[in-house]
Amino acid sequence: MSRIGVFICHCGENISATVDCERVAQEAGRLEGVEFATDYKYMCSDPGQTLIKNAIKEHHLDGVVVGSCSPRMHEATFRKTCAEAGLNPYMCEIANLREHVSWVHEKGEATTRKAIQIVTGLISKVQRNKPLNTIKVPVTKCALVIGGGIAGIQTALDIANCGQKVIMIEKSPSIGGHMSQLSETFPTLDCSQCILTPRMVEVAQHPNITLYTYAELDKLEGFVGNFKATIRLKAKSIDYSKCTGCGLCTTKCPNKKIPSEFNEGLGMRTAIYVPFPQAVPNKPVIDKEHCLYYQKGKCKICSKSCPTGAIEYDKPDEFMTIEVGAVVVTTGFNVLKTDFFPEYGYGKYKDVITGLQFERLASASWPTLGEIRRPSDGKIPQKVVFIACCGSRDPAKGIPYCSKICCMYTAKHAMLYQHKVHGGDSTVFYMDIRAGGKNYEEFVRRAIEEDHVNYVRGRVARVYEKDGKLIVKGVDTLLGAEPVEIEADMVVLATAGVASKGAEELAQKMHISYDPYHFFAEAHPKLKPVETNTAGIFLAGACQAPKDIPETVAAASGAAVKVVSLLSQENLVREPIVAVVNRCAPPLFSTCVGCFMCETICPYHAIEHEEIKDRKTGAVIKTIAKINPGLCQGCGTCVSFCRSKSIDLEGYTNEEMYTEVMALLNH
Amino acid sequence: MEESNNNFEPRIIAFVCNWCTYAGADLTGTSRIKYATNVEIVRFPCTGRIDFMLLLKAFAGGADGIIVSGCHPNDCHYTSGNFHARRRWIVFRNILNFLGIDVQRIRFSWVSAAEGAKWADIVNDTVKEIRELGPYTEYKKVANYLDEEADSHE
Amino acid sequence: MNKLQERATDLLKGGTVKLIIGFEQGNNKIRPFFCEKPEDAEKLIYSDDCSTNNAVYLTKKELIGDNKIAIIATYKEIASIIQLNKENQIKKENLMVLTVDKDGDVTELTSFEEMEKFCEENTPAPDPVVAALIEKIDKMNREERWAYWKSELDKCIRCYACRAACPLCYCNRCISEVNCPQWLDPWKSTLSNIEWQINRVMHMSGRCTGCGACAKACPLDLPIGILTKKMSTDIKEMLGEGEGGNVLSTFNPNDKENFIH
Repeated sequence: MSRIGVFICHCGENISATVDCERVAQEAGRLEGVEFATDYKYMCSDPGQTLIKNAIKEHHLDGVVVGSCSPRMHEATFRKTCAEAGLNPYMCEIANLREHVSWVHEKGEATTRKAIQIVTGLISKVQRNKPLNTIKVPVTKCALVIGGGIAGIQTALDIANCGQKVIMIEKSPSIGGHMSQLSETFPTLDCSQCILTPRMVEVAQHPNITLYTYAELDKLEGFVGNFKATIRLKAKSIDYSKCTGCGLCTTKCPNKKIPSEFNEGLGMRTAIYVPFPQAVPNKPVIDKEHCLYYQKGKCKICSKSCPTGAIEYDKPDEFMTIEVGAVVVTTGFNVLKTDFFPEYGYGKYKDVITGLQFERLASASWPTLGEIRRPSDGKIPQKVVFIACCGSRDPAKGIPYCSKICCMYTAKHAMLYQHKVHGGDSTVFYMDIRAGGKNYEEFVRRAIEEDHVNYVRGRVARVYEKDGKLIVKGVDTLLGAEPVEIEADMVVLATAGVASKGAEELAQKMHISYDPYHFFAEAHPKLKPVETNTAGIFLAGACQAPKDIPETVAAASGAAVKVVSLLSQENLVREPIVAVVNRCAPPLFSTCVGCFMCETICPYHAIEHEEIKDRKTGAVIKTIAKINPGLCQGCGTCVSFCRSKSIDLEGYTNEEMYTEVMALLNH
Repeated sequence: MEESNNNFEPRIIAFVCNWCTYAGADLTGTSRIKYATNVEIVRFPCTGRIDFMLLLKAFAGGADGIIVSGCHPNDCHYTSGNFHARRRWIVFRNILNFLGIDVQRIRFSWVSAAEGAKWADIVNDTVKEIRELGPYTEYKKVANYLDEEADSHE
Repeated sequence: MNKLQERATDLLKGGTVKLIIGFEQGNNKIRPFFCEKPEDAEKLIYSDDCSTNNAVYLTKKELIGDNKIAIIATYKEIASIIQLNKENQIKKENLMVLTVDKDGDVTELTSFEEMEKFCEENTPAPDPVVAALIEKIDKMNREERWAYWKSELDKCIRCYACRAACPLCYCNRCISEVNCPQWLDPWKSTLSNIEWQINRVMHMSGRCTGCGACAKACPLDLPIGILTKKMSTDIKEMLGEGEGGNVLSTFNPNDKENFIH
């Protein structure tokens, strides 16, 4: 027989003004299993809580129903009260007599009746409740950061500076990402490399950060606090412990005509190469696709030239398994190439370039040493047209979203061009100027007013070549759709920012969701912007949506805090509201038949396969579902789906819910 | 018949998810919007958790109407629980209808945590509709173990 | 001996399989036959007139154990085997699927692709009687439908033959046996009979292969087969095929409905 205590709160007069609280307590007191029932003015106050605690001790209560405000308000309070009196907190239920009764109904018999009914339902439920204990999941105190762009760098440094260990993997030979390619950054025009490279070095030297470049995620298993990641360390063909980074090999390599990725194809590199002079680590790798030795079996010039004998050709990729407690995905974005645009020449006009290529032309280092020279003949263009929204905001091109950064970098490009080519003429075709951000609008105004960039609101219909000039045909919609034709020397397309290559595949490996454009999805667009739906996996930067540097850095620091707050705990403490697969005596072991249809229903990939083995022979008797309590979030969708009712949800079990419903209807 | 229906107070059970509709109903309260007393709420973590058998049991137990409500599509706290629930209700409703069970008595809705006024409307509409339909005696009659009780009430 | 019997004899003699599940001619109808000895192989026949869907035996551990077995399969069995496999209930390496064409030649279907192709090519025509009854009920008003089903299902004696005959009702413990809570009253009553059928149909939704074994097994000839048939047709119309063999454990964010306010 249960010994339930019922405590009806007046909430001052909030409840008692319309509900006869005394009568609710009296009627509840008559119900089977109820040992003690009372009402009180303020149950959540200190004396109110003491009243509950004393009653629990005095009457040896094994369950409590508090009729008060919404459980969303004070469930935690009253559960804590119960726990303090030695009663399992999950043996406490809250009947919502304020938001769901007194505040929405007039005073009267029906209102009091409803209150009694709700209390009755929960008295029955609490009698079926089981004591539950919070779930503790141990945490591996190390984070994995995937991607070494500015987002990854910021995240890793922030985590590492909090004293936690970080492993960073980057798929290319150097960290730095897109930011290292940029010339100057808006809205202050400070040099990108100058602000980035010190941080790159800091990553490499930080005692809490282990950096693996030329490395990719192969597999991710496990769950929050307990991930197991398999990393593919792509063979660099160079023993970094011997290599001094002298660079002799790169000067000797006979294959010098490979378009440089770092320079967006505007400069050339060798087959053994360091992507750029400030690369971290500043040691070369061999690009096997272009290396004569790998392709034809002959050459080995680099090996002969290496003073330390660091070249090792025939080493395969290696795999490394690491254990981490949290993962931050910072894999960034890509921009569309010019060949995506038939109207602008399918990429066949050498002087129609992307914004990222323009960054390289404007960069003080490579390939033009900061002089704006057009790719086709190296001449300084006298007339440049910038086209904003190339692909972006164009559902016909499959990119309905705004790429966000283009308005600003186009203004910056035009400004840099005006600074570098005196007397040059620049025109920007735009749809709208979106310059929301600190000092952004002022920056655009400066480009227009001080640097005299010609802004034309309208779309460019076509770009074609004629007599060595690029003819840009567009309209000026502010002048009544008047046709505009410009004979340009160079055209810069602000091509749309798109998800990085392989984003979809990576998301599937990690079981995180992504949007139709393959950008990774945050758990909540406003309140959980750096979390994913998989606990323990976080996002930062442009892998989520196009973002500029300040936003990326802010998100990275946000993600870092989330990681640190996770890793700073010894154990993760979780609400025990999780689904459980039943177990019973042999030969059944569980009523689960292992159809695993619950696997596809679970939004959290919490359902695993458990093999039940014969203790002596080790033979598998049965394979059943098992729910990982670290991953389960307690939605219970699997519970109501399971045909044999083999899964139940703690705190909302079939029996509890059935009993509550029937009790509400007086059964 | 008309008259007896006017005096008839339907019993309605609402099956709602914790994150949207329960919170929405809380907002109805904090906004002090008044509605009919005929509905009692049972709180579930998610619409995905609502077992179709519980709806049948509510009818068998004497409910004249049922409300099932959760987060709007794409707003589910658990990402996809409401999508699964929606599929379940599409199939379930069809089967019930084919069997001649009165599906008009089950009101499905999406009520977000911000839609306090909508919750009051849903409740009032449902009560009005069920009042017009009258008590669900058909179903109560086949639940024969309840006969005695049903008789004693009348 | 025909080719099927020869093949069966070889399989059993050579010890390739321990058991062949097939059909034999009974006193007045064709019935399932479990052939374990080579000398019994001559009793085997091939027919799709058997009311049983023999795939139902494939989940019976007490019958097949860990042995390799063969099943002589018609469309019904093959469709069920495909679905059972999607639900992780088939150990492919222990199962040989044999079918016989109209010339009496025996073919082994070695992969699920072959089985799916077989099903595509051999889909039986819909049963006009079932279709007519569904149409008739669809045309009734709600009260008439309720009256119809109430009177039909009132007769049900809850023998669970429909459950036993269905290859996809393989749960170790059926919801009808769950007693915490007692979802379904264990005795025969109109309410629990109706609830049982609703459960059966909900559990079959998106999985039912339409073999009709449930209806054929019913000792009272209740029209329960049309419930699953109607559900399958409607699901296909409303939700499409569903991924991986189950409609209710998958979803499409764009699922259409018109009843959620």
